[in-house]
Amino acid sequence: MNQRIRHLTVAFVVLFGILFMQLSNWQVVRRDALVRDSRNNTLDRERFDSPRGRIVTADGVVIAESVEKDTGEFRWQRRYPAGDLYPHITGHYTLSFGSTQLEHLERRLLSASTPGAVEVTVRDDLQRVAQAALAGRDGSAVVVEVATGAVLAMYSNPTYDPNQVAQHSGAAAEAYLEVLNADPEKPLLANAFQERYMPGSTFKILTTTIGLETGALTTASTFPNERRWVPPNTDNPIQNYAGKTCGGDLAEVFRRSCNIPFARTAVAIGPSEFVAGVNRFGLDQTLPFDLQGAATSTFGGTAGDFDNSLALLAIHGFGQGSVQVVPLHMAMITASVANGGVMLEPRVVKRTFADDALVIPGNGTVSSPIDNIVRTTPVRQWRRTMAATTAATLTTSMEGVTQSGTAACCLQIPGVRIAAKTGTAQLNPEGEKQRSHAWITAFAPAEAPKYAVTVMLKGTSEEISAGTGGRLAGPVARQLLVAALNGAQ
Amino acid sequence: MADLTLTGAARARRRTEAGLVAMACVFAAGAYALAYDSPRTDMSLARLPLMLTVLALWGLAHLVVRRVANGADALLLPVVAVLHGTGFVMIARLANKWADLQTVWSVVGVGAFLAVLVLVDRPLDLRRWQWTCLGAGLVLLVLPMVPGLGFTSGGARIWVSIGPINFQPGEFAKILLAVFFAAYLDERRTLIVQSEHRLWGLNLPEMRHLAPIAVAWGLSVLVMVGQRDLGSSLMFFSLFVVMLWVATEKTGYLVVGSALFLAGATAAYFLFDHVRSRVEVWLDPWSRFTDRGYQPVKALFGMANGGLWGEGLGNGQPSAIPAAHNDFIFAAIGEELGMMGAAAVLAAYVLLVGAGMRVALRAQRDFEKLLAVGLTTILAVQTFVIIGGVLRVVPLTGVTLPFMSYGGSSLVSNYVVLALLVRMSDATARELREVPSIPGVRERVAMRLAQRRETRR
Repeated sequence: MNQRIRHLTVAFVVLFGILFMQLSNWQVVRRDALVRDSRNNTLDRERFDSPRGRIVTADGVVIAESVEKDTGEFRWQRRYPAGDLYPHITGHYTLSFGSTQLEHLERRLLSASTPGAVEVTVRDDLQRVAQAALAGRDGSAVVVEVATGAVLAMYSNPTYDPNQVAQHSGAAAEAYLEVLNADPEKPLLANAFQERYMPGSTFKILTTTIGLETGALTTASTFPNERRWVPPNTDNPIQNYAGKTCGGDLAEVFRRSCNIPFARTAVAIGPSEFVAGVNRFGLDQTLPFDLQGAATSTFGGTAGDFDNSLALLAIHGFGQGSVQVVPLHMAMITASVANGGVMLEPRVVKRTFADDALVIPGNGTVSSPIDNIVRTTPVRQWRRTMAATTAATLTTSMEGVTQSGTAACCLQIPGVRIAAKTGTAQLNPEGEKQRSHAWITAFAPAEAPKYAVTVMLKGTSEEISAGTGGRLAGPVARQLLVAALNGAQ
Repeated sequence: MADLTLTGAARARRRTEAGLVAMACVFAAGAYALAYDSPRTDMSLARLPLMLTVLALWGLAHLVVRRVANGADALLLPVVAVLHGTGFVMIARLANKWADLQTVWSVVGVGAFLAVLVLVDRPLDLRRWQWTCLGAGLVLLVLPMVPGLGFTSGGARIWVSIGPINFQPGEFAKILLAVFFAAYLDERRTLIVQSEHRLWGLNLPEMRHLAPIAVAWGLSVLVMVGQRDLGSSLMFFSLFVVMLWVATEKTGYLVVGSALFLAGATAAYFLFDHVRSRVEVWLDPWSRFTDRGYQPVKALFGMANGGLWGEGLGNGQPSAIPAAHNDFIFAAIGEELGMMGAAAVLAAYVLLVGAGMRVALRAQRDFEKLLAVGLTTILAVQTFVIIGGVLRVVPLTGVTLPFMSYGGSSLVSNYVVLALLVRMSDATARELREVPSIPGVRERVAMRLAQRRETRR
């Protein structure tokens, strides 16, 4: 009998060992994912109903605060004075539906017994310009400071009003959330960084970089004037935008955004070099961003996938096919060209303060009488995307786009040199009713870059689907650059 | 009365026990102070006597063990005190009203422990009651089904209400059935083994020897399934299979038993909606967050928030997990004490199970071996089922966590289990002449009465 009893004891010890393993799985191994889960935020009522610190913009505008109420079940109401301007950055703070974004990520600081405050890098003046310039159209606008990676504006349509989600009437808030959840365009998600889209010709920045760095392309390269080109392994010809004839040297084909030269370049680079090249830009890697749920840009295939399908690689060379880029990521790519090939980590939290009561926002800045700062987000390099010489070549080509290329119509500011690239991502095969995303990505001043801007208009309306990136997104980018450059003076 | 100055092994063991119980008291009191100190809890100073009462109970238990079972294992009582104390502090930290009642249950539980220790002088005496145990056990199992007495709470009809008292008779039935199984198998295990005949390539015992066990087991499982109490069904099943296996030393029973269990579980999956739903929630609670998956997912969130070191007693939000004081108390521990604290609790259970098994190993008579194995198996399986349910190792079934969960029936019945284990380890110590044999309490009373009669004459 004792033998059996010993076996049984061992069996129980093994069973408890399994419990221990699973315990460490939840509490250590998978902890981060569980802690970050947006549903992991139910608060008990007392903790919910306490004053909470403010969130302020870099130019001193309060965008989230707690106000005292006289009536109702709770004493403290979270308020978002700017309404639907910042929901994707502040997030919302609720009892029953959890909290999101900074309200969630900075919860310990904001809800501490002495509430702290959060200052974001975003400038309220630019954010307002972004919203006004998009004029209700689905899409997003991002402005990034080239030298620091700080996000100065990041606005997405459709948006929502966090005040309605945070209202204490659970039924009204739930009804509002139901409407938001039912919307196919997903207003709760910021399409600036939580969605990814086909980049169209803006992707030619990457193709050109990889071409120059692998030697498949030089500044002296020229391409034949042609209307159609049949890539290897297929019978289907590739055409330029609107079936035009297009060719010339690198500066010209970049400026006019011909498709065939970049298709040829992609094939000349070859699958493994090309995929290695896009990886240097951080495609298929998590964007290191300090908000929740940043999407991952994807090239849509591995080198092996393209080995037998060079035609597909050719299409990817000008940003069509299964390649998808997050708008914020495109802004960082553009900023890396401006920054001599160094891509910084984008960030939206500028500083955090230990005591909200000491923080004085206003007069275009945020100050604190005594040193109260918990943390200043450091400038951090994410990756090096290209050599400085390549960046210089690209800058010249991109300047051509605004001087006499696809953005000449709409992105010129007197006295300012602007480098840009447009994109018109065609969502349907030729022949069908056309739908496309309109892109523009730019930086200025070209000789001493300060700001990078990426505007993307989703192909959800007739107007956008009929236009090109330069004509539609260009004016939005222009207004943002004007405001950014003026505000800095 | 017996001399209080102990010698030899008895003295060493009781000293160890005294030291460990004192440490358990310091630990529980410290934990209580930490929870009290946190601004997030609203524990009042007026309730401090409750904690002190529980500490005093362990002291009392130790003194009585010293008197009536001085050769007993030194580890059993302190380990239980640690578990009971941790659970008590967590319950007190969650809500004052539960702390009040849990104190009452603690008094009743330790009271039951002392009563069993005093009343059961010789474990072997229990053998005489085997059929009574079977009868009483089955009656208790059926009791919740009686209209007017039984009622359903939390989806399981396992409660009985008599006057002002509500209790779960199944918690006590498990002990009675373990006593019956032990006594019956002790008596007939040779018969069962020798009467084997081959059928379809299997060695099968004659049915008439197994019949009472099969009936008892079948009925308990059926009743439990009828009452939708799957965790308890599994417990009874394991108890039956394990005791049969240990008694007969035939691995075949383990194989057949496990096969039967798998077949039964599969059938239950297809027959009962609530079983299917439990399994579905187990496999994917995430997509059912707004509904049946809420509780398990909140528990995982809580534990993840606790991380390696925990949020600290009183600093977490375990009240966000439904039934955090009861079935899910382990999640509350994980959240506030972290993986370190939860692992320590697991280690305490391993120690307890190990101590129980040591009682079985050392026991000199088969009945005691079997009873100790049975009782320890109940403890181990019940602990595994509920912690495994919380950690999503197995589908969740609502059983209490021994000594930690809130609830009278659970606490009292587990203290009875502890008393039996203590009593058996003491009996073994006497058997092995590690401590001098002293008369039991009832014998002492009888002797004293006889002496009085003598002197009167």
